Amino acid sequence: MSAISNNNIVEAIFLASKESKEDSQFFHKVVHFLAKKRLLSKSKDILQNLNKIINEAEGKVMVRVFSHKKLDENTRKEITHALSKRYGGKTIILEESLDEKLLGGYKIEVNDEVIDLTIKNKLEKLQEYLTIVS
Amino acid sequence: MNSNHIVENLKREIENFTAQVKVEKVGKVLEVFDGIAKVSGLSDIKSSEMVTFPGGETGVVLNLEEDAIGVIILDDFSKIKEGDTVLSTGKILEVPVSDNILGRVVNAIGKPIDGKGAIKADKMYPIEKVAPGVVSRLSVSEPVATGIKVIDAIIPVGRGQRELIIGDRQTGKTALAIDAILNQKGQNMICVYVSIGQKDSKLRKLQARLEEGGAMAYSVIVSAGASEAVALSYIAPYTGVSIAEYFMDQGKDVLIIYDDLSKHAVAYREISLLLRRPPGREAYPGDVFYLHSRLLERACRRNEKYGGGSITAFPIIETQAGDISAYIPTNVISITDGQIFLETDLFYKGIRPAVNVGSSVSRVGSTAQIKAMKKVAGTLKLDLAQYRELEAFSQFGSDLDDATKRQLERGKRSVEVLKQLQYAPVKTAHQVVTMYALTKGLMDDVAIDKIKEFEQGLSEYTERNAKVFYKQIAEKKMWDDKGEEELKKVIGEFKANFTKS
Repeated sequence: MSAISNNNIVEAIFLASKESKEDSQFFHKVVHFLAKKRLLSKSKDILQNLNKIINEAEGKVMVRVFSHKKLDENTRKEITHALSKRYGGKTIILEESLDEKLLGGYKIEVNDEVIDLTIKNKLEKLQEYLTIVS
Repeated sequence: MNSNHIVENLKREIENFTAQVKVEKVGKVLEVFDGIAKVSGLSDIKSSEMVTFPGGETGVVLNLEEDAIGVIILDDFSKIKEGDTVLSTGKILEVPVSDNILGRVVNAIGKPIDGKGAIKADKMYPIEKVAPGVVSRLSVSEPVATGIKVIDAIIPVGRGQRELIIGDRQTGKTALAIDAILNQKGQNMICVYVSIGQKDSKLRKLQARLEEGGAMAYSVIVSAGASEAVALSYIAPYTGVSIAEYFMDQGKDVLIIYDDLSKHAVAYREISLLLRRPPGREAYPGDVFYLHSRLLERACRRNEKYGGGSITAFPIIETQAGDISAYIPTNVISITDGQIFLETDLFYKGIRPAVNVGSSVSRVGSTAQIKAMKKVAGTLKLDLAQYRELEAFSQFGSDLDDATKRQLERGKRSVEVLKQLQYAPVKTAHQVVTMYALTKGLMDDVAIDKIKEFEQGLSEYTERNAKVFYKQIAEKKMWDDKGEEELKKVIGEFKANFTKS
């Protein structure tokens, strides 16, 4: 049998939490369990994975948007609309961060997918193209 | 080109350029150590796919785990940090190939390292490819003339064969391979020499030697040096065979030398252990057999319908203290179509090339040997085996009957004839004449220390005087009665002169 991975643990916690909604002591018990199994060092990963699973179950998609200046309302709507189409009508939760180095445009990160629409990326692509051509 | 012109050019190119934006899969580096990176994310990645790091370094995915992948890094890994983004490319690792690669020295990813400028690539070839199937193959029937008497006569190698060269360190394994390359001049053969984990000084010497012999015109050297990343040693042979396949796809015959596969196995062991794959016998991973079998299976001879061409492989294995029953030697012996076994004892006895004729075999080469050679050398192996048996036996007493004495004398001459200097390949026709003289007993009355001189003189004399015979060998690969008569007469003449002087 292979070793128990973080994913297995997270899934177990998630399923258990669904069954014991009323139990106010539940998370106390979970922490206790992790401590007993010496898994507290991995609690960060476990929490992250738990977030992922809960989002998936509730039909939410976490999206991180990087831009060189604050997004206006229109763009935000447009992004949300486009993404919810792409990911099958799920709720889009935007998380915005600013990055001056992007020069312009924006970069969207969904899980391990990246849609890079920044000027910086385009310039890099152009540089690559020109070095190949010349 | 003036600056205005350059600017104009650039403008035009920029106008033509459209930035293609697509969804990219990215991962994050979790840890980096010893040329290996653990990367998270990249959910749709394939095995042996190329990935790129922010500094432009490339890596190859080797391990696919539940929530991380193991990547071997093909460049300097010191600038890669934890948290770096890793991009997938969607491509299996491939190397640039073109006809311009001939005469060049490239590294394991096909980049030139000989300082002669960039090589313009015509095509990209993936380094991992499934070997040609049964339908497209043809059995081995054309000889590879190595120019080494003992090989051409007793252990013949055919085009498309895989013949292992095995022996301890310093027994002349590389020398044998280099002689074979040197002899391919004008034989319609492309040579690829793959150097795995060798000293750069050795490679330099070898390259100089090949250049001197005019062999670089039809050769490529693929080098993964001892100082480079171990991942490069691992992929170098696959790169070599991909280059060979490029030439085979043009219907050409290719000779490829892997020098040596024991270092390749060691490199793979190192990678596997770092990737935490379970170790097996001698700490090699479980798939070390497949590592070599899939490589050597790509050596083949294809039939005309599938484009023809062939790849002949000479893998080299270095043994420790003559132990051919170690793990890697037994593996490779069982994969190849025969082996040339070199021995330290023979080497120091002055029998060079130090081929142990008894334990060397060629399982498919005999069908490829030219008829004339088969005829003259057919009894040679048996002669030598009997000689070795008698040699041990005869040391006890001097009262030997005439037949035994004759056999001993013949054996001594056979051994002497099969000795050969390095970088001195012998033409097939000359070999036939020498073997003819030897097996017909025409050398029995020549003193042993005169054999070399006799052989040399005989080759020159017969080439000048036995024109019919040489023509027949060149055209039909066999002589008829007329040619044989002439040869006998010419040898007789030469002997008369030789004994006089």
